[in-house]
Amino acid sequence: MSAAADSAHPSAIELRGVTKDFPVGLRGLKLRAVDNLTLNVPAGQVFGLLGPNGSGKSTTIKIVLGLLEPTVGECRVVGVPSAQVESRRNVGYLPEAPYFYRYLSGAELVRFYARVCGVPRGRFDARVREVLDWVGLTGAADRRVGTYSKGMLQRVGLAQALVHDPRLVILDEPTAGVDPAGSADISQMILRLKSEGRTVLITSHLLAQIEDVCDRIAILDRGRLILEGAVAELVGRRDRQALIVEALPPGELAELRTWLAARGRVLESVEQPRARLDEIFLREVARAEGVNREARP
Amino acid sequence: MSAERVPFSCGRTSLIAGNTFLEAVRQRLFLFLVLLAVALVTGARFFQSFDFGPDLGVASLKFTFDFGLGALVFFGSTLTITATAQLFFSEIENRTALTLLAKPVWRAEFIFGKFLGAWAVVGVFCALLTGLLAGLLWFRAREVLAANPEAFLHGGPVAPGDLVIVCVLQWLKFGVLAMITLLVASFSNTNLFSVVMGFFVLVICHLQSFAHQAYAHAEESSVAIGLMIKTLARVFPDFRLFDLAEQAGHEGGVNAALALRAAAYALTYVFVFGFLAVYSFRRREI
Ligand SMILES: Nc1ncnc2c1ncn2[C@@H]1O[C@H](COP(=O)(O)OP(=O)(O)OP(=O)(O)O)[C@@H](O)[C@H]1O
Ligand SMILES: [Mg+2]
Repeated sequence: MSAAADSAHPSAIELRGVTKDFPVGLRGLKLRAVDNLTLNVPAGQVFGLLGPNGSGKSTTIKIVLGLLEPTVGECRVVGVPSAQVESRRNVGYLPEAPYFYRYLSGAELVRFYARVCGVPRGRFDARVREVLDWVGLTGAADRRVGTYSKGMLQRVGLAQALVHDPRLVILDEPTAGVDPAGSADISQMILRLKSEGRTVLITSHLLAQIEDVCDRIAILDRGRLILEGAVAELVGRRDRQALIVEALPPGELAELRTWLAARGRVLESVEQPRARLDEIFLREVARAEGVNREARP
Repeated sequence: MSAERVPFSCGRTSLIAGNTFLEAVRQRLFLFLVLLAVALVTGARFFQSFDFGPDLGVASLKFTFDFGLGALVFFGSTLTITATAQLFFSEIENRTALTLLAKPVWRAEFIFGKFLGAWAVVGVFCALLTGLLAGLLWFRAREVLAANPEAFLHGGPVAPGDLVIVCVLQWLKFGVLAMITLLVASFSNTNLFSVVMGFFVLVICHLQSFAHQAYAHAEESSVAIGLMIKTLARVFPDFRLFDLAEQAGHEGGVNAALALRAAAYALTYVFVFGFLAVYSFRRREI
C-alpha cells in the first residue's frame, strides 16, 4: 500500500501558506514563529531544513506532525491533513533534545512504542533488537533510560522513530550530542533509508553532514523561507574543477603553469589538502578500539 | 486515495494506562502505602487500648471501621488528586507526550489511558486498605467475642461484603475525582494549579448535598439564584451519594439498589468529564 501511496502523492509533506503565531505576554502580543511558509517535500528524497536558532524549524516540524495547529494555512502528509490521526500512521519522529520515560529500560521503551504503533505481536522482540542494534545500543538496552547520556538518548530516540518501519522519517537535530562515529552512522542510516525509498526530513546545524546526505534543502530565517533548492545545484560549481596530485617539485609546478598558459588557462590556486579532523578522530578511535579488543581476550 | 482509518483503540489506551501505572510503581509511589498501612494499624491499636470496655464491643468495632474508612477517604482523595495530576504533567513537562502524540494515537486514547492508569493506582490503594481494615475488624471482633461471648446479640460487626461495597463505592468516587482533575489538567499549565483546583472541586462536591437542600428551598427565592443553584447541582457531582457507610453497621446492611445507583452515577460522570477533558485537550499545543 505504501508504494501506491507514494506514487499517488508525489509530495510526502505539503505545507501551504503556513503561519504560526505564539501568544507571548499578557497583552495579546504575538510572536510569529513561522511566516507564510509554502514547502513541498518530495517523496523518496532526503530534505534538509536549515536555519539559525529560533528560525522556526522545530515549529514547522510540530505543525507537520499535528502537535501544533497552524494559525493560518494547511499542511498535509501524504495527502492527509496533519490534524487527522491517519496522517501519522507512517511517520517516525525524533524530537529535538529528546527525553523519554526514565523509568523504562531502553528495550522496554522501544517495545512500548512498537506496540503503540501496531507492530505485529509476533515481531516485537526481533524488531526491537534489530533497531537497537542499528543505533548501537545493544549493550545498554537493559539499562534505565534515566541513566543514559545525551547521545544515548538521541540514539534510543532514533530507534523509537524507526521501530515501526515508517515511510516518512522526521529527525529534528539527530546528531546533536552524538559523537563523530555516531554522526557518521546516522548519515549512513539516512542514506540507507533513502535507498529503501523512504522520505527523510532532517534539521541539523552540521552543514557538512547536510550537504553529504540531502537531496534538497530549505533555509528558514525568522520563520520565512529564504532559499530552497537541490543541493547539487546550489553547491556545485560547474565552471571549476579541483585536481589532487602528489606533491610536485617547484620546477614541475612551473612547467604545469606554462602548459596551462599555452592553452589560455590559469592555475588559480595551489593548496595543501588537509585531513579533516573528523577523519582523524574516526581513524584514531577505530585504532584504539582495535588495540583494546586485542588486549582483551 | 484516502488513507486507511485509524479507529480509536482500546489496546493503545490500555498500553498507555499500563505505562502510567508502571511509572507510579517504579517511582515508588506504593512505598507510601506501606508507611500508611503501618501507621493505620498502630493508630487503630492505640485508640482501642484505652476506651470502651468489654461490653461496648460493637461500639469499638464501629470506631475501628470509621477510623479505617476515614483514612481511606482522606488519603484516597489526596492520592487521587496528586497522583493523577503528577502522572499527567510528568508526561507534558518531560515532553514525552510529544513523542507519544506524534504516533498514530488519538488524544482521547491519551486522556483515557492516563485516567485508567491513575485510577488503577488508586484501586490498588483502596484494595490494600480494604484488606487491612477487614483484617483489623476481624481481629478486633475475635477479641471482643473472647471477652464477652454475647457481645453481638444486638447487631453484629460490619459484614465483610458490606465493607467491600462501601470501599468500592469510594473507589468509584475517586474515579470521578480523577477525571475532574484530568479535566482541569487538560487545559492548565501547571501541576500545582491542577492539584489546588482538584481539592477545591473535591470540597464543592462534598458540599453538594447542601446545594441540593438549598435547591429545595430555591422555589421561594428569585429565579436567577434558583437557576444558578440548579446548574451547580448538575455540574458538580454529589459525593455524599457514595457514602453508604452509615448503613453498613445497621440491620439489613447496605442497600444494593442504592449502591448500584451510585455506581451508575459515578460512571456517567466519568464519561461526561472524560469527553470534556478530551475536547479541551484536543487542541492543546504540546
Ligand atoms: N510554545 C511556544 N511558545 C512561544 N514561543 C515559542 C514556542 N515554541 C517556539 N517558540 C518560538 O518560536 C520561534 C521558533 O522556534 P523553533 O523552536 O521552531 O526554532 P528552531 O528553528 O527549531 O531553533 P533551534 O535551531 O534552536 O532548534 C522561537 O523564537 C521560539 O522562541
Ligand atoms: Mg529546533
